[in-house]
Amino acid sequence: MASRFNKVIMFKPFEKLNRQTFLILVVAQSAFALLAWQVSGQGLIPHPSAVLAALGHLLTTRLFVDNLLTSLLLTGQALLYSVVITLVLAYGAVIPFFAPLAQFIVKCRYLTLTGLIFIFTLLTRDGSQLKLSLLLFGIVPFLVTSFLAVILRTPAQEFELCQTLGYNRWQSLYEVIIIGKADQVFEVVRQNFAIAWMMITMVEGLNMSEGGIGALLIKYNKYNDLPHVLALQAVIFGIGLCLDYLLGTLRHWLFPYTKL
Amino acid sequence: MIMTSYTKQDVLLQATDVSLSYDRKCILYDIHFTVRDIVRPGLQQGQVVSLVGRSGIGKTQLFRLLSGLQRPDSGEITIRERVPSARPDGSIQVYRERIVQPGDMGVIFQNYYQFGWRTVQQSLMLAARQNKALTGKEEDAIRQYTQQFDIADVLSRYPAQLSGGQQQRVSIIQQLLKGSDFLLLDEPFSGLDVCVLDKVVELLLQVSLSDELKTLIIVSHDIATAAAISDTVFILGKKPGHEGSTLVREIDLIERGLAWRKDVRQEKAFGDTIQEIKGCL
Repeated sequence: MASRFNKVIMFKPFEKLNRQTFLILVVAQSAFALLAWQVSGQGLIPHPSAVLAALGHLLTTRLFVDNLLTSLLLTGQALLYSVVITLVLAYGAVIPFFAPLAQFIVKCRYLTLTGLIFIFTLLTRDGSQLKLSLLLFGIVPFLVTSFLAVILRTPAQEFELCQTLGYNRWQSLYEVIIIGKADQVFEVVRQNFAIAWMMITMVEGLNMSEGGIGALLIKYNKYNDLPHVLALQAVIFGIGLCLDYLLGTLRHWLFPYTKL
Repeated sequence: MIMTSYTKQDVLLQATDVSLSYDRKCILYDIHFTVRDIVRPGLQQGQVVSLVGRSGIGKTQLFRLLSGLQRPDSGEITIRERVPSARPDGSIQVYRERIVQPGDMGVIFQNYYQFGWRTVQQSLMLAARQNKALTGKEEDAIRQYTQQFDIADVLSRYPAQLSGGQQQRVSIIQQLLKGSDFLLLDEPFSGLDVCVLDKVVELLLQVSLSDELKTLIIVSHDIATAAAISDTVFILGKKPGHEGSTLVREIDLIERGLAWRKDVRQEKAFGDTIQEIKGCL
């Protein structure tokens, strides 16, 4: 009876499923997609079983672990620097003098990295710096855009409460933006982490001397080893999801009111 | 009619020729009123003033002007401030008049807004730290108020975990801790059930008796409840031939023997006054 009820509500617009039903739905749909891939896959596109075998092989090699750690370290470093730069720019943007700079950074989203790689190569000392600066240039405009949107959405009542408490403007900035939006920093980073993770494979491809998952991906691509390419993509996807979950959990832990 | 001994003394708040427009549309004009210190022998009697009017008449705009959050287009709102300062002749002047600024009045918004990221304890501490008179005694003051207002058990909770009544009490305590003599309340009775409403009324009366200069300004469209706890009612309405709103009537409930009485709602004179107010809207 309950099962029939679930089947019915599953197709109703705006209906909410309980967590267990939703998980069953995700697992079932994933299994169906894998099955369809296994049955229909032919020619150059490897079957899931081949990708799984390649993944098993990858996980046992030291090369993969080393490259993965290199990528994670670089991403972590880039994210940390990006967050610091973003916070300085976004908090500064509430002061009219610094607002144009923040607005310029926001518009930099429309600049492509491809045409700027040579400039960055000239400006940096080595491959490591080049990768880091490219990542920063790619991530910061998106983080600043998202965080400025958070600041702009601040309800007027938050500032008015500060005023009624007799706060001056600096105190209001501290309470409403720096303290009040601290949880949003995590949310913005979580939402934009995908950009950093996506870019890592690109910048590692530009400078392969230090390795990294991107360099490994290019190597397998070069030899047309598609099972390993897809296995690496699966790893990138899986780690992305794990880090997304980790950032979300960390946000709830650090800022318990976000769960209410 | 029960007459109570009282005198109206110094001006605590004065609105003079206040007007406000939006996009050349007149919202408020020619607003004049005065709130005086009411002195009752043997009592710490604060002032409770109601500002009533129909929905959309401009009550919230006047509320914002009184709170200092918005400036009038013309005219001024002045308050009396307790600031001991030396006069040229060597005497001490205890009070001075000045134009109301944001932060001068304790403001309780209609939705009892609080910082969502602060626990009750933290929110109250923020307010207490703004009050120089409480320096070093903030914790004690918070404990005292929260026990008095029966919310001592929710100090570690966030606003989202509080009921509407609890949120209202936190807002009131927060503004009391800040130490302002004036407390502005926007629609404090809206959306409350009968039991909670009685508690809120009791609470406001309690606040009004906490200090001689404590002045509550209640902006409400719940005429009967507002009038039942007020000493003066100002009616905001429209006059023929004018676009905006202005104060059309001031009713002194003390003169009518209808102030400071718990059972006032049972009085025929009170019912007649409510009808009179409704007639002015």
